[in-house]
Amino acid sequence: MPKTKTKIKQPNFNPEILVFCCNWCSYAGADLAGVSRFQYPPNMRIVRVMCSGRVDPAFIIKALKDGADGVLITGCHIGDCHYISGNEYARERFGRLHDIIIKQLGIDEKRVRLEWVSASEGKRFAELITEFTNQIKELGPLKIL
Amino acid sequence: MKHCYQCGRCSGVCQLSKVQKYTPSKIIQLILEGFEEKVLNSGVLWDCLTCNQCLKDCPEKINFADIVRIARYKMRHEANQNPEELIAHKGIYTTIAEIMSRPYIEPKRSLKWVPKGCKVTNKGDILYYVGCLPFYEYEFEDPLSIAQNALKIICQIEKKPIIVLEEETCCGHDIYWGQGKLKTFIKLAQKNLEKFEKTGATTIITACAECYRTFKIDYAKLFPNLSSKFQIKHLIEYVYDKWKQKEIQFKKPSKTSKDVEFTYHDPCRLSRFLPEEINLTDKVREIFAALTKLGYTFTEMKHNKSNSLCCGVNSWMNCNEKSKALRYKRMLEAKTAAPILVTSCPKCEIHFECLQNDFEDIAEIQILDFSEFIVDKIEMINPKTEGEKKK
Repeated sequence: MPKTKTKIKQPNFNPEILVFCCNWCSYAGADLAGVSRFQYPPNMRIVRVMCSGRVDPAFIIKALKDGADGVLITGCHIGDCHYISGNEYARERFGRLHDIIIKQLGIDEKRVRLEWVSASEGKRFAELITEFTNQIKELGPLKIL
Repeated sequence: MKHCYQCGRCSGVCQLSKVQKYTPSKIIQLILEGFEEKVLNSGVLWDCLTCNQCLKDCPEKINFADIVRIARYKMRHEANQNPEELIAHKGIYTTIAEIMSRPYIEPKRSLKWVPKGCKVTNKGDILYYVGCLPFYEYEFEDPLSIAQNALKIICQIEKKPIIVLEEETCCGHDIYWGQGKLKTFIKLAQKNLEKFEKTGATTIITACAECYRTFKIDYAKLFPNLSSKFQIKHLIEYVYDKWKQKEIQFKKPSKTSKDVEFTYHDPCRLSRFLPEEINLTDKVREIFAALTKLGYTFTEMKHNKSNSLCCGVNSWMNCNEKSKALRYKRMLEAKTAAPILVTSCPKCEIHFECLQNDFEDIAEIQILDFSEFIVDKIEMINPKTEGEKKK
């Protein structure tokens, strides 16, 4: 609690971003970004899940409730899922979460995003994180606590 | 609680005791004997349905549901228990309510669902409180038809714009009863009342049994002057009053319409949980009696009014095979009574409809909310041109 209170006053706001990466594509992509030494902001924490279909909307809402400023879900490209259709479920579920819950709660919908990153896209992963962090910085803290 | 003389009637009537080992009388005895900590630590009270059947049959009027509510608060804050695995739908709906209680969050509900022909404002006399229905659209089938039909009824009768708030917050019922998070509940209540006061409304109408009970009784405890500011009405009460004031009448069934036979499931929040003078169970039955005269057939289930069986789940807690057994029991009873089951609690409707996916033998029963049921059976009484039909 005190941490966030100071956070709101800070002009140089450092967002806290939660990233869900699927084990087979995006996590390997993040690994590649690290191995190839692409620079990206250190504001995010990665949670590795076996598939983007594992990410329950409850996780996202809970993360927002507990003070995350943004949540990014990454998975394999459509058609490349290791479990054939996990990311399709994720996409469908995520669409409904966006339209029905996040919007109606009055939380800016840009704070929650679903992206596809494959294992070879290390560069793209770094760019994505940079862009997303900048976007959250522009939006400012979520002031939820 | 000290009045308890261990007649054991509560354990006998307890609906949960039919499907699992659960004895309210024994729990009371343990607490009285000084084993309060043991009861709290065992976590057995998270299982309670808070259906209040035990209070109804208690000779000493011991409010066990209130004991459970206070115990849940203690279990969470003193015994540090977190019942996350017990919350249905992974706690998504209770988390939504918690987010809404935070001071900087202003919900922006979309009002796309408002049916054509209904005008909506944000200042006026009458406020329609939607509740959580827009959020249920996330995984349930068409919950907003309850809100649409309720609003249609009110608009039809009032003929002026009705307040529907975009920034409405949750009433906090599930947080209060199921989770034992009293502080969150108070925050939600304050937020809600501020918003109501801004609109200048005098009457608040809701179609949800839980919201009604929360506003009428729990909010009144927190804010003693609430009842002087707002009149809180359930849709049943509203339709009943207008009918008694001879503003509306009920239509005869058309020959082609199929919904002639129906039965009614009393939600616990509208029967056992209300003080006797409100008496919604009788009011709704007077409406049904009037409908019966017009040619509809109303059949009572075996357990009705304040004896009605529970729908099996309360405040998003404990949706498991035991609660399904309770629901199945209720549905079998409904099946013997009539092909249409009317209820007035959106959650009961959701729970029953969910069970219909699992069991084929009860899938034929049509489950309707009171608003959905009554909407095409109302017509206005117009003093100039009699019997003019609207919609």
